[in-house]
Amino acid sequence: MNIIVLVVIFFIMLFLKGSSLAPFSNPNFSPSISLGFILIFAFLVGKTINRFKLPQITGFILAGIFCGPYILKFLSIGDVENLQLLDGLALSLIALTAGGEMRIAHLRKNAKPILSILIFQTVIIISGFVIFGLFGRSFFPFFSDKTLVQGFALSILLGTLATATSPSTTIAVITETNAKGKYTDLILSTAVIKDFFVIGLFALSLSLSKFLATPGNAIEANVLTMVLREVGGSILFGGLVGLGIVLYLKFVNRETAVFILGVAFFTYQISHNLGLHPLMICLVAGFLVENFSSRGDSLIQAIEKVSVPIYVVFFAISGASLNLEALRRSWLLALIFVVWRAVLKFSGTYVGAKVAKEDPGVQKHSWAGFISQAGVALGMAVIVERAFPEWGGEFKALVLAVIAINQIIGPVLLQRLLFKVDEAGKKQLNN
Amino acid sequence: MKAIFAFGLLVLTAFLGSQFLFKRKKLFLPLSYFFLSGLIYVFLGLSLGKNGLNVLSPEVLEGLNPLISLGLGWVGFIFGFQLEYRYLRRFPQKYVELSLLQSLFVICLVVVAFGWLLRSLFPSEPSAILYGMAVALGLFLSLNSPSLLNFASSEIPQKGNYYHLARFLVSVSGFWGIGGLALVASFWHFRFFENNIFSIGKGFVLLLCSTIFPIFVAYVFHFLTIKKTSEHDLLVYLLGLVFFASGTAAYFNLPSLYICMVLGITFSNLTRIQEKLYPLILSTEKPFYIIFLILIGALWEFNLDYKVAILVAVLLILRVVGYSFPLRPFGKILRFSFPLPAHFGLCFLSSGGIAVAFIVSLKLIYPFPLIDVFVSVALIATILSELLGPWALKISILKLDTEK
Repeated sequence: MNIIVLVVIFFIMLFLKGSSLAPFSNPNFSPSISLGFILIFAFLVGKTINRFKLPQITGFILAGIFCGPYILKFLSIGDVENLQLLDGLALSLIALTAGGEMRIAHLRKNAKPILSILIFQTVIIISGFVIFGLFGRSFFPFFSDKTLVQGFALSILLGTLATATSPSTTIAVITETNAKGKYTDLILSTAVIKDFFVIGLFALSLSLSKFLATPGNAIEANVLTMVLREVGGSILFGGLVGLGIVLYLKFVNRETAVFILGVAFFTYQISHNLGLHPLMICLVAGFLVENFSSRGDSLIQAIEKVSVPIYVVFFAISGASLNLEALRRSWLLALIFVVWRAVLKFSGTYVGAKVAKEDPGVQKHSWAGFISQAGVALGMAVIVERAFPEWGGEFKALVLAVIAINQIIGPVLLQRLLFKVDEAGKKQLNN
Repeated sequence: MKAIFAFGLLVLTAFLGSQFLFKRKKLFLPLSYFFLSGLIYVFLGLSLGKNGLNVLSPEVLEGLNPLISLGLGWVGFIFGFQLEYRYLRRFPQKYVELSLLQSLFVICLVVVAFGWLLRSLFPSEPSAILYGMAVALGLFLSLNSPSLLNFASSEIPQKGNYYHLARFLVSVSGFWGIGGLALVASFWHFRFFENNIFSIGKGFVLLLCSTIFPIFVAYVFHFLTIKKTSEHDLLVYLLGLVFFASGTAAYFNLPSLYICMVLGITFSNLTRIQEKLYPLILSTEKPFYIIFLILIGALWEFNLDYKVAILVAVLLILRVVGYSFPLRPFGKILRFSFPLPAHFGLCFLSSGGIAVAFIVSLKLIYPFPLIDVFVSVALIATILSELLGPWALKISILKLDTEK
């Protein structure tokens, strides 16, 4: 039945957005029709694709790509920009859930493998990309038209970006599969903590690259202060938000879903005004609620209540905003980078897990949980574009293409992993 | 960015409202229903809009356009969902006839009075637009809200014939008004206006499409939910299809209110999962409604000159006259078993959320300069009638059912 409805809805939209009805339409309301359509269409695609044992969010993303500005054009670039109003909300909600899923006991137990994987992934991936930049530069025009030092700077930035994993995708797949267990904890905790780490690392890499790429430039002395302010401020503000949620859940505890929605939006906006990191703030807030109050379950339940439609729209819009034009232009290099990154992820995870004396299963398989990439990497690519106007645009296009591929295969690999290690379906949330 | 901030503010205020307002206490105290009904949020929106703090600036509101059309669709869907035949058939046929007669009378009265009044006040405006506005005001006045009676139900000790009749009338009157809006929007479609085309044939086609499309969507919804569906899936289907229908309506300059009302009526009469859907609808209704009221306040180009004041005063007088005086003859024509005194009509003063949604629907469909006068007149009249509503209810139903 779902497939029939999917086809019917698709043809209705094709007819409604067709040129014959254009004279009667009001383009100002194009985002309205697009939002309704994408919500139902992407959800049905997700459900359909789920029958083939693929994660629903891959379906949401594929639906977004298919209906987006580069293929069917049901959603124009303007529609996508307008609908990104929901992005802040969804990201904050996902981060609150992720924070709420991290328990101190689990973190303590996994501290050694998390740190080990984090360090080895970072070192191996950045080194791998530097090696690629140095030895492979003559094969690719992307590198070959740059000086050796510029190529080195570019490689460091590419390596830093390649280290990033999308915690939002990770938490969405874990929520969808109801996964629980050792692998789930390890992958989620590492992805979340890595997010904190990568933001700091990126600031350092950017400063170093500016120094290397621009002759006469000095390493910015205040870079450490900036990182500390951003990370420290986010943790502090996250603590305040978490405290607010705990107090609310303790003393009011009514209309929690609406309250959480409001908190998510305000956090997103205020953090941008203060130059803080919204994802970190919500992670810390969720973490505090889960670990320092007895209200963690209430928080998760409140988010669960409203999360599904927001996830659908969020990932569908993510799909629609993936730049297929960039992918078309640099698909070969992007594909090589994706494969190279996966190899380096495997190596980093393998070595990290081995050093931490994790069992062979973790050493061999857990890399598959770190492939997806989304918002953070994208945001960094935009910063690089601004910092290096002469080659930043090209860099961003390549990164966008890499993200597009990783965001499609990442959720699939993670879901496969969770089924393979028999952790999918092990958690039954009390709805 | 600003839009995100505005939306966050709206959601948080919506939450505060759901906490502190809508309590059923002290309904008959002065001003209390004004707060209880949530209309205070229109003023909050006004203060956030371009005439106030400008947080909800015109650009932000443009970004929030989807939310406005979705809010309209939501109001329409909820209204339509309550019109379930299984429930309505318990009432005598003559109740439906009275409702239709009452609405027709009010519409005709307003069209005649305002057709003349508007031409006198705005002589330079094209008469087609002035008559259109008179019809719109007539349809607006034919709308009643069941909210006041719902709030008052616990304070009416003896619920007799008058209470039940009033409850039926206020619950279904919106059908005629919203149906009328669909007729106006189809035959006076904005695109036809723009191109100076008036086509009855195209009007029929648009009306037919406005009716068939939501029926079709309702069937889709029914097929999707015919099997056992989880609450999460149900919420996505519900939001997705209501948003799709209302978005389509907005995209084609058709009334989201009508299209989603038809969707609600069709679906409520098709499905057997009302028990599952009502809690879902109830849990989302309040915040949606409050956000919607704030956005309406922000959209409001407030102006209160002597013309607006005259129009509001006449509208309020016509509301009292139109609902009170014809009741006795209508009661006789329809052979009611109990008398329908004129003061029974006073319980139809309140028009509530559905009237506000109607006003916005019209503003979105017809972005003429004069529409802002219509919005001001209709909103001020709505606010005043909400202020007078509880008092009027007290001297109508409470008194009548107690006397009986």
